[in-house]
Amino acid sequence: MKKILVVVLVLLSVVAFSKTTITFWHAMSGSNLTAVDNVVKGFNESQNEIEVVAQFTGSYAETLTKAIAAYRTGTHPHIVQVYEVGLQTMLDSGAILPVYQLAEPGFDWGDVVTPILNYYSVNDQLYSMPFNSSTAILYYNKDIFAAAGLDPNKPPSTFDELYEMGKKIVQSGASQGGISFGWPAWVFEQMHATHAQFYANNENGREAKASQVLFNGEFGQKVFIEWMKWAQDKVFVYGGREYSANTAFLTGQVAMLIQSTSSVGSIQKTASFNVGTSFLPRMEGYPRGNSVIGGATIWVLKGKSEAENKAVWEFLKYIIRPEVSLQWHKSTGYFPSSNTTVKLLMDEGWFASQPNHLTAFLQILSGSNIPEAQGVRLGNFVAIRDVVDSAVEKAVQYKGKDYEKEAKRILDDAAKECNNILREYIQLYGD
Amino acid sequence: MQRRFPNRVLPYILLSPSIVIVIIFLIVPTVQSIYMSFFRVSPFGDRKFFVGFENFTRLFQSSAYLHSLIITLIFAVLVVLIGLSLGTVIAVLLNQKLRGLFVYRTFFIWTYAISPAIAGTIWALMFNPSSGPIVYIIRSITGIGINWMTDRNLALAVVVIAASWKMLGYNIIFYLAGLQAIPEELLESASIDGASGVTKFFKIILPLLSPTTFFLLIMNMLYAFFDVFGLIDIMTKGGPGDATELLVYKLYRDGFISMNTGFASAQSVVLFVFVAILTVLQFKYTERKVFYG
Repeated sequence: MKKILVVVLVLLSVVAFSKTTITFWHAMSGSNLTAVDNVVKGFNESQNEIEVVAQFTGSYAETLTKAIAAYRTGTHPHIVQVYEVGLQTMLDSGAILPVYQLAEPGFDWGDVVTPILNYYSVNDQLYSMPFNSSTAILYYNKDIFAAAGLDPNKPPSTFDELYEMGKKIVQSGASQGGISFGWPAWVFEQMHATHAQFYANNENGREAKASQVLFNGEFGQKVFIEWMKWAQDKVFVYGGREYSANTAFLTGQVAMLIQSTSSVGSIQKTASFNVGTSFLPRMEGYPRGNSVIGGATIWVLKGKSEAENKAVWEFLKYIIRPEVSLQWHKSTGYFPSSNTTVKLLMDEGWFASQPNHLTAFLQILSGSNIPEAQGVRLGNFVAIRDVVDSAVEKAVQYKGKDYEKEAKRILDDAAKECNNILREYIQLYGD
Repeated sequence: MQRRFPNRVLPYILLSPSIVIVIIFLIVPTVQSIYMSFFRVSPFGDRKFFVGFENFTRLFQSSAYLHSLIITLIFAVLVVLIGLSLGTVIAVLLNQKLRGLFVYRTFFIWTYAISPAIAGTIWALMFNPSSGPIVYIIRSITGIGINWMTDRNLALAVVVIAASWKMLGYNIIFYLAGLQAIPEELLESASIDGASGVTKFFKIILPLLSPTTFFLLIMNMLYAFFDVFGLIDIMTKGGPGDATELLVYKLYRDGFISMNTGFASAQSVVLFVFVAILTVLQFKYTERKVFYG
């Protein structure tokens, strides 16, 4: 009897003093992986009750797939980083715990930077924790601009300027190509937002579930025609999906790059030339919109104990602490999530010494806050982006001269496929 | 029939581990795939409804799927042709008595030991449009910059090269073994009769290698259909556009990226039936021509 009592006591004490372990799956690789590890390490050292274990689980798409597979077998992590296109899937999943429910009553969300708050809110309630939000900006190689006889402090601000400058760069031999894009389909979405165009019906799926994409309209065709024209003149060089175009830019094969702000850190560190950044180029004759949020947020998955959920909330509160999000911004280039952090950064002169970190901010704050630019919410957006990526790839390979017809054909095909995806999604979840 | 086992139960016990493995890893998933192919399932699996044959009819109406099928056939034919012909030639060369032969042999067979992910990375780096050595050499010689990320045919060609290269070591091992089983006397007497090297190769060596060739034909075909996922994923992700979207890769994209489990299951059922038919046809028509000596 004594023995049993001892065993029970020992077990109890182990339980009482053991830490709550929180698993966190994420998709941050390269220098961003180190940044995540630093955030997690900082949290683990800041207290004794909770131990967060961060695990890199592959690309965004792979991480989402793994999390879903794990959820179905009950082996899911407490929190998972999901990219912006997973928004509708997560909202409908029935597998999540919205952060507004997790937070203690009266928690002040007002400090979260407005475009981020809008993007991830439904009926003014925040569903996932802002972590690494970004937007797309234009990067350019000042050395190549100078070598081509262009003013290194005057990047293009319109499509026409970009085309002219690109041709000059290619013809002068300063570089083999003008521009390349990271995340091509995302850049296409950005173009809609910055020109105040809807990408899908029902206000980009924010009023009700979108049942139809609108990117094959006159505007989308116009963008594709321009890109096809650029590609044929080597002004546009296709560099692959996600981040693979960065290589072309860093090795000087192209003079410009449209890429997520999350690459500011790594590009500045790696580039052997002077890097400039600017706002996304626009087409004239369209209303001014705003660039849209990308990147990812942290979702809390259901099915864990009350104590564990509380621990998760402690961690989530930690990552939007001003000093944490400040460090996160500096080491990655992602937006600091709170307004307090922005002020801290400004006060210490960070933006003055690091103007490339300011570009995205100025861009997103100088645009107008219209529904077209608050973000697109689509059922199975992951699949839709895949379709659009393929469409861009088809367009830039086109060798003929009948741009209008080809752009319309490619976009109509893509739209048809996307509308099918949306229809099936609505069949599953209702509208 | 002769009974070799004193015990009636023992053979079943001895077989049971492999039977269990086959059931768990092959039979159950196959049955599940067939079952799932009649449903539409939500990503998290919380909603699902019966759709009958809709997944299948959609499949055969989809131009993307038919395109993928054609690309896969082209890919498989090229990989098998290149793999077998190059494999025979290199094996014959390696079957000669040369100094340091085992070094060459090791180098050639090496490729099979490399994982698909690493093989894919090597080729992707070599053909990288901005920093790849092969691209650099071609540009230095011809002045043409090649970019397989925007050129459909080139992308398919590079993937075919990588896939054939990866399987080459395997083919060489089997051909070497086949060559070493050919009796010396046959070749000697042919030489005495005045047969040239070329005649010996086509009239004696090739026919005697036919069992090996037949085996490798099936193995290479299965490889080209099922085993190239890693290469494609690392190198092209099915792109540019849908230029290298082979059936297995499309299945993965629909099932694991788009999370359309029912549709992907239908594809796996079709792929399974398709390869089964091809294999049966091969056994039926090709095996007649095989000479087992």
